[in-house]
Amino acid sequence: MNLVVVGLSHHTSPLELRERLAFSNAELPSALLRLHKGLGGAGVVILSTCNRVEIYTHHTMEPDELRKEIRFFLSESHCVPEEAFRDALYEYENREAVGHLFRVASSLDSMVVGEVQILGQVHDAYIAAQAEQTADKVIHALFQKAFTVAKNVRTQTTIGEGKVSVSSVAVDLAESIFQTLSGKTVMVIGSGEMAELTLKSLVSRGVRSVLIVNRNAERARALAEPYNGEAIAFEELNNHLHRAEIVMSATAAPRFILHPPSFHHALKLRGQQPMFVIDIAVPRDVDPSVAEIDNVYLYNIDDLEHVVAENLELRRKEIDRSMELVEHGVNQFMQWKDTLVAEPTFVSMTEELNTIRERELERTLKALPDLTETQRQEVAALSKRIVKNILQRSMVEIKHEIGHHDPHTVLHLVKRFFGLRETT
Amino acid sequence: MGIVTDITFYVGAALYVIATVVALRFLRSEKPAMLEMAERLLFAGMAFLVVSFVVRWAQWGRVPLTTMTDSLSLFAVLSGLVVVTVLRQCGMRPLLSVYLPPLTAIVLFATATAHRNLHAAPKELSGIVLIIHVGLALLAYALFFVASMTSFVYLSQAHRLKHHRAAAFAHRLPSLEELDRLLFRLVGYGYPLFVATLTLGLIWAWFDRALLGHYWWLAPKVILSYVMAGFYAATFHLRRIGRLRGPKLATLVFIGFTVLILGYMVLSVMNLRWHFFWSSGT
Repeated sequence: MNLVVVGLSHHTSPLELRERLAFSNAELPSALLRLHKGLGGAGVVILSTCNRVEIYTHHTMEPDELRKEIRFFLSESHCVPEEAFRDALYEYENREAVGHLFRVASSLDSMVVGEVQILGQVHDAYIAAQAEQTADKVIHALFQKAFTVAKNVRTQTTIGEGKVSVSSVAVDLAESIFQTLSGKTVMVIGSGEMAELTLKSLVSRGVRSVLIVNRNAERARALAEPYNGEAIAFEELNNHLHRAEIVMSATAAPRFILHPPSFHHALKLRGQQPMFVIDIAVPRDVDPSVAEIDNVYLYNIDDLEHVVAENLELRRKEIDRSMELVEHGVNQFMQWKDTLVAEPTFVSMTEELNTIRERELERTLKALPDLTETQRQEVAALSKRIVKNILQRSMVEIKHEIGHHDPHTVLHLVKRFFGLRETT
Repeated sequence: MGIVTDITFYVGAALYVIATVVALRFLRSEKPAMLEMAERLLFAGMAFLVVSFVVRWAQWGRVPLTTMTDSLSLFAVLSGLVVVTVLRQCGMRPLLSVYLPPLTAIVLFATATAHRNLHAAPKELSGIVLIIHVGLALLAYALFFVASMTSFVYLSQAHRLKHHRAAAFAHRLPSLEELDRLLFRLVGYGYPLFVATLTLGLIWAWFDRALLGHYWWLAPKVILSYVMAGFYAATFHLRRIGRLRGPKLATLVFIGFTVLILGYMVLSVMNLRWHFFWSSGT
């Protein structure tokens, strides 16, 4: 039995191609069933996200054959000639396929290493396969192990720590300055996509009131409305600065609009309580010397991007530790998978030993006709316990030997030892 | 020292050292079990120091509070209690790794001077007034010690945020606002205790001139104590009215405790005695 994965991702293909080969949620159930039936009952999972399309299969077919079938399925499902995506495909079998899935689930293969969404997407793909009953025993075990490995990577390394977008870094920094954002006031000066994104993140974390400062009063009111905020005329900026714990500036002004004296005055009115100033304007709105004032924490767009870069670097440093955990998971899974080859032999062993047990039990009971019914049952139970013990110990040892030697040689010896037929 | 005092005292000190090593290992592993273990070891260390204290008290028939080693060992116990209580209440348990090393250094200092210092107190220095006076003082110092460590954490966090190096550590440390509030509370609790200690000492000295002599107020430790009381009064008041907050407050609290503890230690090591008047008076 072979495990094969065929797919393409953001590493190997442009978005246009991934879009053409993606399976929507509505298409997924029928696609799973078609491939499952087309491969004669193979275990199948399809993982389709904006960054990757991957098909995992488990079948008796040779890997080359299996890969060919999957390529044909992809081409036929989306009416895209194979030549159009052949070069973008990656194909892994058995150990490499297992390692690939574990890396994907652990977010080591993601565009932003350490992001959390991919684990949910892998989980959804597995649930879809379960719902359509296209996941066989090995596929089940493979995905369960992938979730365990991903969890280990997340909890035993810092790969998921530190935010990697400018708006989330700004929120993170605000939470490093203030105990909680709930009840805090944020002032937005000017407007812009980044400012709005950051404001949304801050509001979602509990910011109580929003002050919008704009040269255009109408625009200020329109921006304030969705947040139940207060519109403030630009000329009044310095009179309201002290009210805000977080000040975010994003105007198109050609010169600085906020200078140290404004902050000295605001801090005096605030009883020196700290202020977090985010200057995302280019050119900058806040005089850089404001950063030297005690209790004012000033970040411009470069500073925020620098923090993002630092966080990404920290995540990259964790890749080696994460890969060790993945490798450990792959070893454990492959060891378990190798023991599956012994299952038919274990069934034969059990049958053979039980046949011997029943034959010998019958002979013994015939030789002891005076035994009571209770005694006969006790002897039968004894024989069952002996066989069970022998089988359990033997199976543990055989599994161990299979993990360290050629499985076929080990099973050949076991069959000879127990007098089993070679066909099993 | 008796054998029981010896064993319990040194085992207590050793447990502080082991607790510190375990707490520092937490910084690397970040396993909560490490913190649990460090806390338990710290409690065990405190228990041994308390047993040593009680045994000395029973042996000598007088409360053992008059030497630097006595005081430092009791200070280590009270500080340990304050550290664990504060960190648990504020949900800042990982900071045990920051608070324990200096505390253990103080315990080790006490250990190094133990043989010279662990001897029975003079008969004149005993009684309930002494116990209350020294007990209040040590509790106030314990609160100031934890405040100074909190200042250290505050300054580290503020430095990282100011210099835009917050990414790696900021989320593991409490927010500046939390640390500032904790600092205010610790100084707020410590300052009245310190003033109460000094007031009680003043009354005691006034009424017991036979023991303390006429020039008790010229003792270096007394002068230092009143200077520090003024310092903490000013710090507490300025913070309360919002004139002093953030890095400046943290720096002052840190420097204040450093001056206080180093001052006492230097006076003791220079043999100027904690209260030179009683030794000359007996």
